Amino acid sequence: MAGIYKGKYASLGLFLALTALPIALGIGYALLRSMGLAGLGAEGFTLRHWEAVLSGGEFWRSLGLSFRVAGCSIGLAGVLALAAVLKAPERWQRGGLSWLMYLPLTLPAMVVAFVVFQMLSGAGLVSRLAYKLGLTSGIQDFPNWVNDSWGIGIIAAHVFMATPFFIILFAQLYQSERLGEYAQLAATLGATARQSARRVIVPVLLRQSFPTLVLYFIFVMGSYEIPLLLGSQSPQMVSVLTIRKLQRFDLADIPQAYAIGVLYMVFVAAAAVFLLRNNAEKTSSTC
Amino acid sequence: MQRFLLLAHLFLTACNNPQPSHEADPTRLPWEQVIEQAKGSTVQLMMWQGDPLINAYMQQYVAPAVKQQFSITLEIASGQGNTIVQTLMTEMEAGKSVGELDLMWINGETFYQLRQIDALFGPWTERLPNAQFIDFQNPFINTDFQQPVNGYECPWGNVQMTLIYNSEFVKDPPRTRAQLADFVKAHPGKFTFDTQFTGLTFLKSLLIDIAGGGNALDGPFDEAKYGQYSAQLWDYLRDIQPYLWKQGKTFPDSRSPMHQLFSNGELWFTLTNNDNEVDSKVGQGLFPPTARAYVPDFGSIQNSHYMGIPKLSGNKAGAMIVANFLLSPEAQWEKQKQEAWGDGTVLDPSKLPGDWKQRFENLAARKYAPSRAEMQSRALKEPAPEYMIRLAKDFREQIIER
Repeated sequence: MAGIYKGKYASLGLFLALTALPIALGIGYALLRSMGLAGLGAEGFTLRHWEAVLSGGEFWRSLGLSFRVAGCSIGLAGVLALAAVLKAPERWQRGGLSWLMYLPLTLPAMVVAFVVFQMLSGAGLVSRLAYKLGLTSGIQDFPNWVNDSWGIGIIAAHVFMATPFFIILFAQLYQSERLGEYAQLAATLGATARQSARRVIVPVLLRQSFPTLVLYFIFVMGSYEIPLLLGSQSPQMVSVLTIRKLQRFDLADIPQAYAIGVLYMVFVAAAAVFLLRNNAEKTSSTC
Repeated sequence: MQRFLLLAHLFLTACNNPQPSHEADPTRLPWEQVIEQAKGSTVQLMMWQGDPLINAYMQQYVAPAVKQQFSITLEIASGQGNTIVQTLMTEMEAGKSVGELDLMWINGETFYQLRQIDALFGPWTERLPNAQFIDFQNPFINTDFQQPVNGYECPWGNVQMTLIYNSEFVKDPPRTRAQLADFVKAHPGKFTFDTQFTGLTFLKSLLIDIAGGGNALDGPFDEAKYGQYSAQLWDYLRDIQPYLWKQGKTFPDSRSPMHQLFSNGELWFTLTNNDNEVDSKVGQGLFPPTARAYVPDFGSIQNSHYMGIPKLSGNKAGAMIVANFLLSPEAQWEKQKQEAWGDGTVLDPSKLPGDWKQRFENLAARKYAPSRAEMQSRALKEPAPEYMIRLAKDFREQIIER
């Protein structure tokens, strides 16, 4: 019995050493750097870099934009994927379409960003088509869809990448949770297709996929290449802002980059723990 | 908490004991011995790899040549200024005794930062046999962003900023600051500049023009001058901002997206720090054949780019051999060929042996950019690096985030 416990603790220790320890060391080092206590040119304990980050509007605008972009991307992709799965749940399981769905997932983010740029920029394909159809009289009439302050281009790129992923996820959940059978049951009890979708299928799909959706949300918030190419210069998404502070021109800005990194991590970790714990409680209370 | 501090202390002290490299200092050895020491070694070069012509020159010409002549394997990693600074900083902070890099392609801004953190090996360049041919009298070569190079980086090439325009739409490109403002207002959305090195270099030339042109900003950074002239620069830019690309609400992040916007016709102008780029891009079919380069009357910045060796390099001898090869008349001549790279030489042709002077003079002239001699009269020197750091910061506050 003791041997089992020993083995359990050893594997837990190994797990922590591989996951938590590097992160803890990283955060510890970032904290020291942001307070002038480590790194080349460290000036000694100071809070001025934290003050600069917290009091300047730049970081908060950047966090707000990252949150908005992730929310819109996941929201849109989720709705599209739900609609596709509800419309024809079996079609995504087998056959050519199920394979085709994997194609966007194989594209690197940078390539997707470039495709979106080529499609939606002022002189892009959509704008050219609009011009040929007589809808616009030139580039100046075409709306600002890339490098705009709302992040429309960024959202488009993420929706393009996330939708097939969610379709695959929902379609598999549909099968593993036997939602088809529940839908039939609901129908025999007199529910319309709309009612069974709203009351049965969608809630189960969303609840079961919630942790994945939260993780994808965090992934979008922290994405770099797509906002680098398709974003605006102000505000910038958090990762782009951090890299700018870390790498561009002024070495004295580096501690600020570390402060932003720590702050961002704290926000994301707190949000993730809150959301996932809430979800776990809800799931266990309903089961 | 105490435990954490103890751990942090151990972690930091463990990191702060760099061991000296065991390699014999090659600057103290006769050149034959340097060659001997480097034989069979590998040199790790980090450089910007954003141009297929430059990559081809390095991979297909330089790497095989140093392999064949000196049995040195040249491995090239991708990374420019900021990546190099970050890499070396991290290595020094981690207390590594031997770093990953042996040679790096750098200039002004990076040189300044690397000197700030004391990451460069030197002085070493005078030890190179080919250094005797370098045009060290030329202030555009012996001084990098107002900092004497003092043997800590070796000149490699020389370029001048040009404005590129599409002559299909622009018949008479603006020559002065006032003309540029008028042009931008008359043709909204067709002009912009990026927020990286190229765009900042353009802003520096405007700043020098506002300050009176020529040598007005020579010498160390001058806060009073900067304050006075940058205020005028922001006024000038705010005046034209609504007529820039995307109403001046955002700017391209670097030169490549700006080139992209130029090739697809969204912009009528683009900028380049490499005066030969218009010829090479038209040749590759990436720019329209109507693209032309010019230097406005207010001038443009000319600068040199260099090779540096990190203090932590484990193969300084090999790095010096490669640098010496890059400086050889044949390598510089090959590099200046239009079809190769078209990069200006840093050698003084009158110092060269044999018929090299003739051969440099016989290189085919370019078609779409003015000749180097023509541009030289409007060449401006790089001001001190602090001007660029301040411009980058204030441009955000005064223009982008306004």
